[in-house]
Amino acid sequence: MNVAIMPAFSELIVKINPAEKVTREGLLNIIMPWLYAPWPDARGKGVVELEVEGETTRALLTTLAEVYRQVDVDFAPINPKTNDLDEDYDVLVNDKNYVTIPHGLDAKLRDGDEVKVKILWRWDG
Amino acid sequence: MALGRLTDTSGKMLDSSERVRYNRQLLIPDFGEEGQKKIKGSHVVIAGVGGLGCASATYLTAAGVGHITVIDYDVVELSNLNRQVLYGDEDIGTKKVVVAQKKLSKLNPTVEITPMHAEITEQNISRLIDGAQVVVDGLDTKDARLVVNSACVQQKIPYIYGGVSRLRGMITTIIPGETPCLACFNPEGPRGRGVLGVTPAIIANLQALETIKLIMGHNPSLAGKLLVFNGNNAQFRVYDIEKNERCAVCSQGLLS
Repeated sequence: MNVAIMPAFSELIVKINPAEKVTREGLLNIIMPWLYAPWPDARGKGVVELEVEGETTRALLTTLAEVYRQVDVDFAPINPKTNDLDEDYDVLVNDKNYVTIPHGLDAKLRDGDEVKVKILWRWDG
Repeated sequence: MALGRLTDTSGKMLDSSERVRYNRQLLIPDFGEEGQKKIKGSHVVIAGVGGLGCASATYLTAAGVGHITVIDYDVVELSNLNRQVLYGDEDIGTKKVVVAQKKLSKLNPTVEITPMHAEITEQNISRLIDGAQVVVDGLDTKDARLVVNSACVQQKIPYIYGGVSRLRGMITTIIPGETPCLACFNPEGPRGRGVLGVTPAIIANLQALETIKLIMGHNPSLAGKLLVFNGNNAQFRVYDIEKNERCAVCSQGLLS
């Protein structure tokens, strides 16, 4: 599948097989520039286009983790020990948490879906 | 790196006992007696004396920060004792700030410890942090942190965010007008997932280090950066972060 990725505040917004050209309209700010580390040339445009092998949320997250790993950025939403989402992240598909979707991370994504990969902050003390 | 307030070192001479107490710090290049006098003349507010605040308060007291205000609304509970190392079994049921004052004063009687038994609110936060050179985060909720963040931005006081859960933690030093503030990120995340006691100690000691650098007038290392610690694999990573130009707290005229 083809995806368009837009780093936002503390999250990546990913459009699946978008029908139209994706722009950052309404999403002007880029405050975590390291999220562009695998694609430094894309920072000016603010949108990364990527081809992902597979059709599921898991395939998307696995591909993202691999491209970040290649530039030594720790962005690994799937915990290899649990094979589930790591505690530093949350994932929404069309604003629904992945745990509420049948098949969870293995649910097949559809054209036009929007996946948000949120980087969670720490609040305990 | 600008500071909200400069340390007033006038009249803050070190006596012979202090020269011995702080001997190992006085030996550090760029610290010395002038640096120690800056530390002695400083006022730091620690918002929350739980796992984070106990550790940062201990090391800032030992370092000789002249005046430390500790704010907390809770009493000591048994479930605190895996990480809140100022407290013991005998303190259960006692106000944390009362115990903290007693223990910190015993550690270093030259430091003035002001206990504030208060719940942080939008109404009282300005008064609670008034006069501080640095506010150190020792809180355990997002909402309270955002209240402190907003007040620090308004009063131009550096605020050192720290947060933990399980074996992981984060820290960034917020310099109003210069770096992103906490609200820039629209941050999310759960709480109450558990904390291993050493995790807040690691993050809090980095907060204490940043505090001392700010007091000394040295550049803080984590201004405009987010340090992410993962105790599962003992990795520290530091990422650049940038201001959200549409931030409702730090980019809408509050600083003008």
